[in-house]
Amino acid sequence: MNALELRDVTVSRGAGPVIRDVSLDVRPGAITALVGPNGAGKTSLLEAVSGVVPVSGGSISVDGTPITRLSRVARSRLGLVHIEQGRAVFPSLTVVENVRLSARSSAELDDALALFPELDERRDSPAELLSGGEQQMVVLARAFAARPAFLLIDEMSLGLAPVVFTRLLPMVQRFADQGVGILLVEQFTHLALGLAREALVVASGRVTYHGDAQALRDSPDTLHAAYLGG
Amino acid sequence: MLQGALAGLAAGGVYAVLGVCLTLMSRLVRVVNFAQAAAGMFGTYIAVWLVSNQGVPIWLATVVAVGCGAAISAAIGWVVSTWLSEADTSARSAVTVAVLLLLISLSFILFGNKPQPFRPILGGPAFQVSGVVISQVAVFTVTIAAVVAAASHALLTRTAVGIKLRALSERPTTAELIGIPAKLFGIAVWAATGAVGTLVIAIVAPSQSNDAIALSMLVVPAAAAALLGAFRRLDLAVVGGLALGVLQGAAAQMTELSVARHFLPFLFIVGLLVWFQRKEVWDAAR
Repeated sequence: MNALELRDVTVSRGAGPVIRDVSLDVRPGAITALVGPNGAGKTSLLEAVSGVVPVSGGSISVDGTPITRLSRVARSRLGLVHIEQGRAVFPSLTVVENVRLSARSSAELDDALALFPELDERRDSPAELLSGGEQQMVVLARAFAARPAFLLIDEMSLGLAPVVFTRLLPMVQRFADQGVGILLVEQFTHLALGLAREALVVASGRVTYHGDAQALRDSPDTLHAAYLGG
Repeated sequence: MLQGALAGLAAGGVYAVLGVCLTLMSRLVRVVNFAQAAAGMFGTYIAVWLVSNQGVPIWLATVVAVGCGAAISAAIGWVVSTWLSEADTSARSAVTVAVLLLLISLSFILFGNKPQPFRPILGGPAFQVSGVVISQVAVFTVTIAAVVAAASHALLTRTAVGIKLRALSERPTTAELIGIPAKLFGIAVWAATGAVGTLVIAIVAPSQSNDAIALSMLVVPAAAAALLGAFRRLDLAVVGGLALGVLQGAAAQMTELSVARHFLPFLFIVGLLVWFQRKEVWDAAR
């Protein structure tokens, strides 16, 4: 089955579980929004999927291949790309060098850089000299160059002005239009639910809503109840 | 004094090469490798044993020594990459102190505690400048220091592998998430610096103090050299190593300073730390 599948995933950090028994499927071309209050465990769940932290229970698979015990590198080779919270550029590397790390050919590099004409003039600038929005463009271009099958996006808007974020948001839809399955964690809940087909609300490490994203967006009472623990 | 200063170039070249290795290790794999020179010492001792006891030609024994130095370093790198991949620089560096002591102890057990009968690979004068003799060893060590620093800089800035290494050094987790194999690259850096360090120690050991502790403690002046470049800049590590060697050589020629030359690396380190601290205070005040 073509999907990123999580079954009863539990993630522990320090004293105890921060995510308990989460199951979900991310299908190619679909956007799944993962929302919830701060500290609910959303980031930990993404990190478990990409291998940054180990899972303490349950299983994860990509297109039927179990990845729970695979290294981060092996998972990336299966097409799993994780855009971390903050702006995960390599500071001293130039824009081109940052994007080239994921590109397998000059054509892929050029295609990725062409996504953001703003970056063209800054091609040879170290990433640390770019604005926050430009750095996030570099991260998105690098993800695009990797030709992902599944994309995990963690709080892309963090620290960005809303006007900058709304410039970047269409890129998420563009990834999906190209068949990439996306698991999207986002603090701007309504924007995330507007993009997604399916949504999960996580509160205190447990899923308190799992269903249609549009229905959740249209029902503030349901959303608030889910945020408060269902 | 000029003769002494230029004679110090041989030692300065060794400090410079080892300083460059320490800088690369610090930048790329987040370790201050206190066992850098000890790995070279151990590899060199194996070469001496092969020449003295097995009749192996010196050039072949040197190749084996370089391989052993690389293998020892790679083994430490494997341990650090496997069990301390998420640890901070202090914890990773502490492991190399243990390895330093292990290698010195092992060399005493296997080879005895007397200086080894090194046979020189290079010897004699290379040329003279105004009546001052420059040895072949000095030419070799200074040249290899410059070549290693320049080649490392070119590798890191102009090749795909170098860019991946820099990415790994800046954000290891992010680099792994985009498919850069941190462990493999890290072990390769350990092995390469181990090989280079062993080569210079094998070349210079016959003309320097050649007991296990003296060779292993070459890491101290090398650290002083690396500190000049704040364990970041390769060119300043070379300058620091050469300057330290020249100063030590000059001091050795002056009766009243000849004993003090052994303290020069210490003074160099203290002076640099005080200077860096002064800069921090200046910045904070501003």
